[in-house]
Amino acid sequence: MNRSAPRSIDQYLRQLREELAGEDAALIQDALYDAEEYLRAEVAAHPEKSESDVLELIASTYGAPDEVASAYRDTEAKVKAAMTTPRKVPGSAAGIFFGVFLDPRAYTSLFFMLLSLATGVIYFTFAVTGLSLSAGLAVLVIGIPFFLVFMALIRVVSLAEGRLIEAMTGERMPRRPIHQSGTSGFWSRVGQMLKDRRTWTTLAYLILMLPLGIAYFVIAVVGLSLSLAFTFTPLIYLSDHYGWFDAGNLHIGPAWLESLWALPFMMLTGILLLTLVMHVARGVGRLHAMYAKALLVAPAGI
Amino acid sequence: MDDSNSKKFQKDLNGGLVGLVLLAVLNQSSEDLYGYEIAKRLASANEGVSIFKEGTIYPVLRALSAGNLLTSRIVPSYSGPPRRYYRITDQGRSVLAEWTAIWAGTRNFVDRFIDKGQSP
Repeated sequence: MNRSAPRSIDQYLRQLREELAGEDAALIQDALYDAEEYLRAEVAAHPEKSESDVLELIASTYGAPDEVASAYRDTEAKVKAAMTTPRKVPGSAAGIFFGVFLDPRAYTSLFFMLLSLATGVIYFTFAVTGLSLSAGLAVLVIGIPFFLVFMALIRVVSLAEGRLIEAMTGERMPRRPIHQSGTSGFWSRVGQMLKDRRTWTTLAYLILMLPLGIAYFVIAVVGLSLSLAFTFTPLIYLSDHYGWFDAGNLHIGPAWLESLWALPFMMLTGILLLTLVMHVARGVGRLHAMYAKALLVAPAGI
Repeated sequence: MDDSNSKKFQKDLNGGLVGLVLLAVLNQSSEDLYGYEIAKRLASANEGVSIFKEGTIYPVLRALSAGNLLTSRIVPSYSGPPRRYYRITDQGRSVLAEWTAIWAGTRNFVDRFIDKGQSP
């Protein structure tokens, strides 16, 4: 690297960001966070030296930006390899279709769809209450601090949602909260936070989570109940028919379905439908992860 | 040329050793430690010069944490972003015991040849 050595924390972080260009946005956020923790602690530990004097030695202790960047790249590759268990890819079309039952992501995504109604309601309430109270209190002294606390809470909620999405869908999301670097003054920090596109996209995400959550929940519940009913009704009907247990006055309608030859087809339809639901859940999980990343995580290079 | 050779060798060696050293440091410590503190402990143990660049321990800490060998919690800090404090888990301790045995075996094996070559 024939680039000039960084002489300030900002320069260091900028160079590190450039070195990591093209990597996963969440990885970059984590790397910058770690570096800032170290650099600020190092500067604070040497009050007698200026920031540029401390930074001069940083390449031999913490490592130059390119070294640190390659350390993150290597470790990320190793962790990814160790965490993803190699799955046997079924070759046949039927294997691919029914293989979804072996994919843990399909189950976690389905769970996420059911959960998203609850989180959607909470996020929506939080965002709308915060916004309207901020607007209403703006004329009072308490308005501005209230708005700032609300903005800070948005970031915490954003991190929590990111962790949930990574757990459910496996999409890499930030493991550290967003931390602004560069400015030290309180008001310039506030200004930066307001100018940050991500603050507003996060807010949009929280509000949109309610309609999305309702849709996910409805799809999951309707899909599950329909397919499970189709699968198990024939079994209950048969046990009733042969008197294994009394299911009450059970009738399947339309009447032409209520014959012994139709029951296996009904069960088959249920199983196919259930497989389809699992595929839909996995697909929704993937799409939602991409969507969440676009709104919650800053794109690389900014 | 020589210098880059030794650097590469050191880097290859460090690949697995950083994880072992970090587990050992956290196992010895009675309190939770954050990244900067760990880096300084490593450096002070070796007359202020750490064998590996301190920046390389952070991604390894995160990897160990992702593997449930460490747990962590976040504590706000005045000097910069909130600090992440790490603590070793029971699983981490048993892995440390395994790795320590592997390291001892490896070191004995390597020393067997190196000692012969050096003291003719």
